[in-house]
Amino acid sequence: MEFLANLLESTNLGDFVNAHDWVWPLCEIFHFIGMAALIGTVGLVDLRILGFAKRIPIAALERLVPIGVAGFVVNAVTGFIFVAGNPVGGPIEYLENLSLQLKLLLILIAGINLLIYYFGGIARQADAVPPGEDAPRSAKFVAATSLIAWFGVIFFGRMIMYNDTLLYAFGL
Amino acid sequence: MGDFIQFIENSAVAAWVRESPSIFAYTTVLSLHAMGLAVVVGVGTVVALRLLGAFKALPVAPLLRLFPAMWIGFTVNALSGLLLLAANMSNLLANVMFIIKLVLIAIALVNMELLRHSITGYAQAGEAQGEISETPRTRALAASAIVLWIAVIVAGRLTAYPNFVSALFS
Repeated sequence: MEFLANLLESTNLGDFVNAHDWVWPLCEIFHFIGMAALIGTVGLVDLRILGFAKRIPIAALERLVPIGVAGFVVNAVTGFIFVAGNPVGGPIEYLENLSLQLKLLLILIAGINLLIYYFGGIARQADAVPPGEDAPRSAKFVAATSLIAWFGVIFFGRMIMYNDTLLYAFGL
Repeated sequence: MGDFIQFIENSAVAAWVRESPSIFAYTTVLSLHAMGLAVVVGVGTVVALRLLGAFKALPVAPLLRLFPAMWIGFTVNALSGLLLLAANMSNLLANVMFIIKLVLIAIALVNMELLRHSITGYAQAGEAQGEISETPRTRALAASAIVLWIAVIVAGRLTAYPNFVSALFS
């Protein structure tokens, strides 16, 4: 952890963030836009697979996923700036933050879940579902996991600044 | 007005949101506010992009089913927003970006309803899919929906940085 913090510190992003007070708010704006892009696309595919707005074909909705991936990339970049460029406590303050750790864990779970969906043959089955029909159970399981994971990412993302509250809730 | 603001800020609900160490107080309300935003803006933008002519494989009529989802997201944000406002009313009402954000949300909601009406008319007419995005009115409403929602996010984020904003305009 210490090693990673030093590595991030060596980017000198903290100095850059410190020197320009527009960097942090601007990155936050992009971070929120990326979040909306991800939920509005991937979350929508998940909802349809779970049976919401069934007349929309799943395959057509899946064309939206690249927008969600783009949103994720925007958030990975801005998130990196937040951690590496933390002007007050440095990267270590974030790396040791339980809320951020849980957020990253959920992102990992969501990522593995997505790989299972596309490379486990589940996407092919879901794409074959005609409008108005139910998706297979395996696809519903993946969709539910995805929704829970991404909304959990938002929850723990917002908790980062209030990590003490989380520790208190966990009795830590 | 000052008395009213004091009354709200000193109310039990406002004090609980602001001061309780419970994870369900301020932090959960704040999280819900981000989740509702993601639903309203994300789904709203997807519908708007389709009406601008992207993702033609998506049939337009069933997109009407997405509007209740947007309204649920908005309701979550109206309720969580009211709690956050009650907890910090005097500061927020004196915050220019917050007032701008409220005005933008009002315009965005009217815009969203006008967009829904134009899709409803199209769905009832039962036209072949794809043609709706050709009408200039629908295109204009779709474009302004995207611009308005992004502007709401910008104003909302800048609400958290009043010193930065006032330095910008001084």
